[in-house]
Amino acid sequence: MALKILSALTLLAGAVQAQSVTGNAFGTYVNVAGIVSQSPVASLPSTGGMATGQADAFSVAGAVDGRWLNAVTTGAVDNKKTGAQSTSEVENVSAAGGAITADIVTAVATSYFGQFTGGNDATGSGFTNLVVNGVPVTTDVAPNTQVALPGVGYAVLNEQVPSGDGVTSWGMTVNMIHVVLQDALTGLTTGEVIIGSASSSVSR
Amino acid sequence: MNKGRHLSLALGAIAAILVAVACQDTASSPGSITAGGFPPPKGGGGCANFRLTGGGRIDQRDHLGFAKSTPESHDFATFGFQARPTSACPPTDGSGNLEWQEHNPAEFGGGFSFHGTVTFFTTTNDETAGDSRCGRFGGFGRVKTRDGQTFDNVPFEVRHACDVDEPGVGNDHIAITIGVYSRHGILSGGNIQQHRLTGNI
Repeated sequence: MALKILSALTLLAGAVQAQSVTGNAFGTYVNVAGIVSQSPVASLPSTGGMATGQADAFSVAGAVDGRWLNAVTTGAVDNKKTGAQSTSEVENVSAAGGAITADIVTAVATSYFGQFTGGNDATGSGFTNLVVNGVPVTTDVAPNTQVALPGVGYAVLNEQVPSGDGVTSWGMTVNMIHVVLQDALTGLTTGEVIIGSASSSVSR
Repeated sequence: MNKGRHLSLALGAIAAILVAVACQDTASSPGSITAGGFPPPKGGGGCANFRLTGGGRIDQRDHLGFAKSTPESHDFATFGFQARPTSACPPTDGSGNLEWQEHNPAEFGGGFSFHGTVTFFTTTNDETAGDSRCGRFGGFGRVKTRDGQTFDNVPFEVRHACDVDEPGVGNDHIAITIGVYSRHGILSGGNIQQHRLTGNI
């Protein structure tokens, strides 16, 4: 009898331990010709908890300028409910030499298991007073909107990359501004700039 | 020897108190956010046998809607937290952390960032009292305003954080007080989850 109880408890513990969460968030990432600069990253432990990364300002000349960078990720593993949610924000944003500006860039990535179902979403992500190539964008930006940046390359705005199999795992990565730098003559990619990145995932 | 040691400890304790008072004085002139000098309320809530995690965004200032505010208003806040009770209850001690970002330039300091450390965790005692999906926690933290001010030892209280359903958007809601700043609303992004205490945050 005692052995059966012990076996059941071991199986239960195994079921809980098999679950995991991930979460990452950061304000800015710049890779120009292989030289990488990045603001503080918040990385969630696989067993859950909370992590943060903040900076009052971040600047790489000609690539990105931003203030009040804030990255937070939280989550927990539980055999009833498991979830991870990450948020990244940057204010007073200027990217690609001023081709893209915004008062606030906000990325939110949420992944979860409830008792009976799971899911992921990027709801809550958005721009406040976005301007692209000198033109104000007054409506919500659809996921994965690509815009040309003459002389720079192109940008994907509100980039959303879901992951997981939708049954035992769910995940979401959101990059609010993803600039791909291209050589003006060859068109080859020479670097990238990411502003407002949040990701999360759950699995069991 | 012992007398000398005792005197040294006593002087050290007095010095620590003076430093603490000085720190509180330094942080006690923050305009509409009151800092230092009094603890956040611990009474009123009951023992809780769960923990909470959450993060996301709220825009509307009521429990009626969760649409995003207009871009020109900057009127929204984002947050992240983990909180749990830490001892057999009573007492209602708690642990955890909270980050809160208020973006509205009309709020204190032109908007602010807040980092708090949780010291208590209970069931709720406001309009959500009796709702087993909700928890209450609070403690102290640091406010950094957009206009360059910093205030330490500011009390905060999450009056309720409620895990109503999945997904959290349009369902879960949170109400917070930081000093005399207050905001509550339904999540327009993110999630709040209630977990068993057997977890490991």
